[in-house]
Amino acid sequence: MMEEDAGTSARREKRFRVQTSEKSDVSMALVQVSSNKCCGGYQKVFEHDSSELKCKMKFAIYLPPKDLVDLYGADVITKAGLTCTEQNFITKAGSQQAAAEHGIILVAPDTSPRGCNIEGEDESWDFGTGAGFYVNATQEPWKTNYRMYAYITEELPRLVNSNFAADAERVGVSGHSMGGHGALICALKNPGKYKSVSAFAPICNPMQCAWGQKAFAGYLGPDKSSWEAYDATVLAGAYSGPALDILIDQGRDDQFLSASQLLPDNLIAACSQSNIPVVFRLQQGYDHSYYFVFSFISDHIKHHAKYLNA
Amino acid sequence: MDLFGGTLDVITEEMTVSDDEDRVEDRPTAFMDKYIENTTMHATGVQATVPVSSFQRFSVDTNESLHFEPFIPEGEENELTPGNDDVFLTENQDESKELMEGRTAQSESDSPDAYCTDCQTPTHAFKKPTGPHKNHRVILMKKAAQEIKNDISKTRSKLEEKITQMENFVSNLEEIFITVEENFGRQEQNLEQHYNDVLQTLAHRYDERASAQEDEKKIKLESLYNQLIGCGKMMDDSKELIEQAQALYRNENKYAFLQRVMPIMKRIEGLAKEEVDLKIATSLEFDVPAADLSDVKQMMDTINAVPAPSAPVMNPQIPNSATCTSLRVCWSLFSDDTVEYYELYSRPIFEDITVESDLEASKVKVKETHYTVTDLLSNAQYEFWVTATNTTGISPASEKAVYMTVPSPPVIKPRECTSCPEAALIRWDSGNTNPVDSYTLELIEMGAESSTSTATESIVAIPTCECLIQLQPGKCYLIYVRAVNIGGPSERSQSFTVSTTGTLFHLMEDTAHPCLSVSEDGFTMFYTDEELPLSEMVFGDNTFARCVAVLGDLIPVRARHYWEVEVDPHTEYRIGVAYEDTQRNAYLGGNNSSWCMRHVLTPSRHKYEFLHNGWSPDIRITSHPLRIGMALDYDKGTLSFFNADLGQHLFTFQCQFLHYVHPCFALDNPGALALKNGIKAPHYVTLV
Repeated sequence: MMEEDAGTSARREKRFRVQTSEKSDVSMALVQVSSNKCCGGYQKVFEHDSSELKCKMKFAIYLPPKDLVDLYGADVITKAGLTCTEQNFITKAGSQQAAAEHGIILVAPDTSPRGCNIEGEDESWDFGTGAGFYVNATQEPWKTNYRMYAYITEELPRLVNSNFAADAERVGVSGHSMGGHGALICALKNPGKYKSVSAFAPICNPMQCAWGQKAFAGYLGPDKSSWEAYDATVLAGAYSGPALDILIDQGRDDQFLSASQLLPDNLIAACSQSNIPVVFRLQQGYDHSYYFVFSFISDHIKHHAKYLNA
Repeated sequence: MDLFGGTLDVITEEMTVSDDEDRVEDRPTAFMDKYIENTTMHATGVQATVPVSSFQRFSVDTNESLHFEPFIPEGEENELTPGNDDVFLTENQDESKELMEGRTAQSESDSPDAYCTDCQTPTHAFKKPTGPHKNHRVILMKKAAQEIKNDISKTRSKLEEKITQMENFVSNLEEIFITVEENFGRQEQNLEQHYNDVLQTLAHRYDERASAQEDEKKIKLESLYNQLIGCGKMMDDSKELIEQAQALYRNENKYAFLQRVMPIMKRIEGLAKEEVDLKIATSLEFDVPAADLSDVKQMMDTINAVPAPSAPVMNPQIPNSATCTSLRVCWSLFSDDTVEYYELYSRPIFEDITVESDLEASKVKVKETHYTVTDLLSNAQYEFWVTATNTTGISPASEKAVYMTVPSPPVIKPRECTSCPEAALIRWDSGNTNPVDSYTLELIEMGAESSTSTATESIVAIPTCECLIQLQPGKCYLIYVRAVNIGGPSERSQSFTVSTTGTLFHLMEDTAHPCLSVSEDGFTMFYTDEELPLSEMVFGDNTFARCVAVLGDLIPVRARHYWEVEVDPHTEYRIGVAYEDTQRNAYLGGNNSSWCMRHVLTPSRHKYEFLHNGWSPDIRITSHPLRIGMALDYDKGTLSFFNADLGQHLFTFQCQFLHYVHPCFALDNPGALALKNGIKAPHYVTLV
């Protein structure tokens, strides 16, 4: 699955600077893996040692053209879905054009720790490597490395903010599929932390679908009450905080929708009940692929820009 | 000092001797005074006053005040202008202080440093508290000089003013003189001509009469002569007869005598019997006809009388001289005419030929060559003509001139005016029954403070009763309209305020479905529960017949527009935009000429559709909007819907609107919609 991390857009920074860690407890050393000019800005990939995940992690960051950053000056973070790496989003989603236009930095992390040599890590595509499900695992053997929730909500933003002078106050979150689940729970669990949130075909109610049940049971154990902390539908029912404007696009011909892995109706019902403003668009004829994401990514970037550049 | 005094005295004497030399003498005198002033003299102030006072006397005596000023060297004037001191009589503490501080002279030997305005003499400041000027107003020399200079310049400007007035007066007099002279000359010429005429007439008359009498005389003489000849002949005949008779008488021969006497006797008897006409054949009296001098008399009379005036000339209407009920009519006379009064005739002209135009012309007596006719109809034509009258008679009537009253002010129709941040469409009623030439729209931008208004901008020659004007966003404008005809512009209409904060429009109530009622303010629509029988519904050509809908009158400007609608959660509605000619018997959104958001209540949920051409995307909205913002952007070709309370974007139609669209509002079940107008578009509408 893929997680898409919507990039944090750095406000006034012309060129990012690679810094040695300022905080002694966190290694901030970034190693640039690649850098390509794209839509007037730069698409870069960095590698670093993650303190949360205890392994080397890569993330992609799109830095929009400097003048536009100056003009708009807003920051966002995004995530990708099952099986994906940071590469999926940046190569397939076609997000850079819109991000460049609106001056938004896009940060796309990987979807799970990699190369941790945990037994069974690479056995299935929907659990372990590439399927971190954005939880902090509590069960052995995963609990040491599989702390994607902490990585996404704390370590990565800190890393980006300290190295790219992005505006920590203006961060949005978005994702596709498992990443959509990640985006929703990040926003719902941290009221006010993310100024904007959107999702493409998110796993809305993991407790009720096969993917979620498998992952949660593995990472969090059999106690279903502990699952609730990572289920968007449950979290939406209990949400209280600043009004969230959630934009969700869903392909109508999505095979996982018909396989009841995504369950958007449950989320919509929960949001209607707790009056969380959601615009859910069921897009006719689209499936779960990146072609679907590509088709609507600019709407989502605009959605984020509306709140981040406000 | 003596020397100076002496010189001065001499000059003063010379002055009195010859006034003609005044100007010449001014210079040395003034020079002298200056010298006195500037030289460090061992003289007292009293001594110094001597020449000064004598100079004053001189200037007054010689009546040279007009010329005297230019010859006064600077710094001297203070001593030369007496008079105005009384202004300063009140003691001023500041002045005394200043005096004490500014003094320079320490002893009598120093030159005076102060000036007493009461005595008009220079003095010493240190002497002020004790000296003769103790109770006087003593000020520093410098200050005194300045004060007096000021006075002089005031006086000078007054004089200059007077001179100007005098000059004007003189030129007026000159004009009058010339006019009088001209008039006199003309009069003289006139008189001469008249007298010549009279003399000629008389001479002619004399010639006529003389020749007539001559003829008569000739006839009489001829007849007398004939009579004389006749008498002579008769006498000759008689004489011959007498001689024959005498000759016969003396004849001795009686026989012969007797023989011949009888015929002679007969002839004598005959002659004796013949009555001799001794009357003069012609009358000795000449027939003298009574001299008819009446025409001459008349001619003589007209010499003194002014001629009757000729017909005056009507002037064309002067622009801006008319109001909607009055006209200022002007005419002129020939300069030679003398007119006691004019009579101005006026008559309205009706373009409608059915109205009889032989209305009585009204007449008014006027002394001047202009008159303001009042109580007229607005925007109407009147014809005027005028006659001039003096003691001699009345002139022929002038040509007729047509004047026109200005129109009544138009009436702006606020309900039909619409605006957006870039423009406003103003509509108005003519205010006049008959057509006017054009309209003028005046535009005043209100300043930051509502009281201060900046310059007026005018748009002229507007042919119809509406005008689209370009405006600046975020401002407030006052708008007036005037109607214009050849008579000029009308008064301003009532003002109309346009605020370019947001888009403002009214509902086109003529499009409303019969079941849809609109509140008094025009911004709330109701679909009431009461069932209206179909027979009672009145459908016009323009009313929606199926959908309980109404259109809004959006300004036809291809810009960005934003408006909001407040809805009730239980109301089913369709709101959006439609082309003006959208089918009236179709549902909004069901065709390709309307775009709308539809709210449907199903037993399980609220359903929102974004309908165009009968199709809607499948969109779920979890938070039911109660205030819906609609943003129309012609350039981008978008119509976006927002939950305005949250700033949440709901949906955007992408469509290049080929024509102007109008907001549309429809109710699918009984309820109400409230239109919110003139709202500044939220920043986020541009971000979708």
